[in-house]
Amino acid sequence: MTTSTRRIGDTLLKLEDISLSFGGVKALTNISFEIKEHEILAIIGPNGAGKSSMLNVINGFYHPQEGRITFRGQVRRQMRPYDAARQGIARTFQNIALFKGMSTLDNIMTGRLLKMKRNFLWQALYWGPALKEELEHRKVVERVIDFLEIQAIRKTPVGRLPYGLQKRVELGRALAAEPDLLLLDEPMAGMNVEEKEDMCRFILDVNDEFGTTIALIEHDMSVVMDISDRVVVLDYGRKIADGPPEEVRRNKDVIDAYLGVSHEEMAAE
Amino acid sequence: MIYREAGQFKTSYAADQAIFPILQDRIAVAIMMVVALVVIPMFGSDYFLEIIMINVLFFSLAAIGLNLLTGYTGQISLGTGGFMAVGAVSSYKMAILFPDLNIILIFLLSGLFAAAVGILFGLPSLRIKGFYLAVATLAAQFFLDWLFLRVDWFTNASTAIEGVPRSLFGVTITGPAATPVAKYYVALGFVLVFALIAKNLVRSQVGRAWMAIRDMDIAAEIIGIRPLRTKLLAFAISSFYCGIAGSLMLFLFYDSAEPDLFDINLSFKVLFMIIIGGLGSILGSFLGAAFIVTIPVILTNAPDLLGLPISSELAKHLEFMIFGALIIFFLIVEPHGLARLWQIAKEKLRQWPFPY
Ligand SMILES: Nc1ncnc2c1ncn2[C@@H]1O[C@H](COP(=O)(O)OP(=O)(O)OP(=O)(O)O)[C@@H](O)[C@H]1O
Ligand SMILES: [Mg+2]
Repeated sequence: MTTSTRRIGDTLLKLEDISLSFGGVKALTNISFEIKEHEILAIIGPNGAGKSSMLNVINGFYHPQEGRITFRGQVRRQMRPYDAARQGIARTFQNIALFKGMSTLDNIMTGRLLKMKRNFLWQALYWGPALKEELEHRKVVERVIDFLEIQAIRKTPVGRLPYGLQKRVELGRALAAEPDLLLLDEPMAGMNVEEKEDMCRFILDVNDEFGTTIALIEHDMSVVMDISDRVVVLDYGRKIADGPPEEVRRNKDVIDAYLGVSHEEMAAE
Repeated sequence: MIYREAGQFKTSYAADQAIFPILQDRIAVAIMMVVALVVIPMFGSDYFLEIIMINVLFFSLAAIGLNLLTGYTGQISLGTGGFMAVGAVSSYKMAILFPDLNIILIFLLSGLFAAAVGILFGLPSLRIKGFYLAVATLAAQFFLDWLFLRVDWFTNASTAIEGVPRSLFGVTITGPAATPVAKYYVALGFVLVFALIAKNLVRSQVGRAWMAIRDMDIAAEIIGIRPLRTKLLAFAISSFYCGIAGSLMLFLFYDSAEPDLFDINLSFKVLFMIIIGGLGSILGSFLGAAFIVTIPVILTNAPDLLGLPISSELAKHLEFMIFGALIIFFLIVEPHGLARLWQIAKEKLRQWPFPY
């Protein structure tokens, strides 16, 4: 399913021959694929396939032993996560990574951090340009809050929110950064059907309204088929398929991987 | 129905961001200001001003400083006494070396010295956390103790450092000759200004970055926060507060002190203040300081008033027992301390008399 107004553009991120291992464990082996501007890319695969590791490599959280990453035409090496954030990459985590002691509003405000320019001396005064800046960014954050329909929990410490809402707040924090590339690690895990529908709507709207490029990991195949433009399938740290959803669904290797056939064959070898 | 926010609709984000958004809070703060600025200095006895108020004030400043670092940024420090010593020693040295330098400026500069030392001892925080960081700051405490005791230059080869007499606008405000009222106003001025600044910092982006580091440093890095910079800023500002608190402690209270006054016990005392008062709360820093300063005074005086004979030794033991029990209580039951209890009381009041 593709959205009407949106046009998929040039390559935004290019991964070439990425290999990552932890001691003896090979999490990723020779992976290459591209993410194009404005597209929604789904990364799927069985548990332990290396999907989360893939996102971690993209935003500089893990450093692959081999391979090359090109973002917006620039090759980058050994980037720290905060540099990735500076370049416009935001993300959410599989196990929610919110700031538990802070309110929803404050959590989402942290997403504006890189956009706020006044230094701490101004902030100490909380006056003039500093106050003006604070209020401007508060306005942006309130728009995110309205968009995600979480007005009622604005002042609630996020540690007290139910799981589904926490996922939403985490998305809000990532959106507040107005990223060019948004990485979502299982944004719908543990949600009921209704919550999933909401989340799908948010993802499609973000992509549609702001043209944000999105790479997401998802287990629910019907969701993947519905919202993604392209699907990359990983299994045992290798890429086994890459293409439009309908094509990937018919792919023999993918069916095998999900049925576990190939695993047994590999074990037998 | 005394304390309600119903009917007070906020019509702009600016109103919502105000420091005390609720009218009753603003009234309470105004009343407290009048009490602090007029009533206490007019009617308070010298004993009350010196032993209680000035003590509470400089300890509040130190507690706010430590709270910014430990309560807001999550970096445990046992070096508070050492940073206060840097403040006290450097303002003593500056007062001696530059007789014409304004004393207020000296206090502010002493804060900067402490901030520089704080940054230095904050460097390990990039690599180590929690218990190990506590040990590293403990090493800072011992090193600074040793330095000021052993290197003659700091104490001008005498055994004690002194609160050199100085005046401001023709009024003597430091040293033995200054009146308690004058000293009280100086302490109050510093505390009001820096409490406001602390409050502003924690409700701005700096404060949110600190709390992000405290709550989850990995996620903080992913949204673009540089951990080392953020932590070092917390160390710097925290030590700045502690440094000024140390200066005030020497110049407004002790007048003359041996450097070992600023030992590990002082570090623990301030730490207890923020645990009892409330980690991550500016108000809590005041409550904790007030509590820990007044309990011993009450314990020494109350038995006499009630006609109970308690030896001063027993009072001291009681003090330790009460503090010990309270710290365990707050650590286990209510880590947000007195400040949280106060908040709960306010919430109860908000619903009274119709809880729903
Ligand atoms: N920090 C780490 N240290 C050691 N091994 C790791 C680390 N992170 C991932 N791995 C290993 O890399 C492999 C891939 O893990 P990854 O979390 O990327 O899988 P996944 O596809 O996201 O799985 P899931 O669907 O369960 O989330 C696993 O074998 C995992 O144990
Ligand atoms: Mg995963």
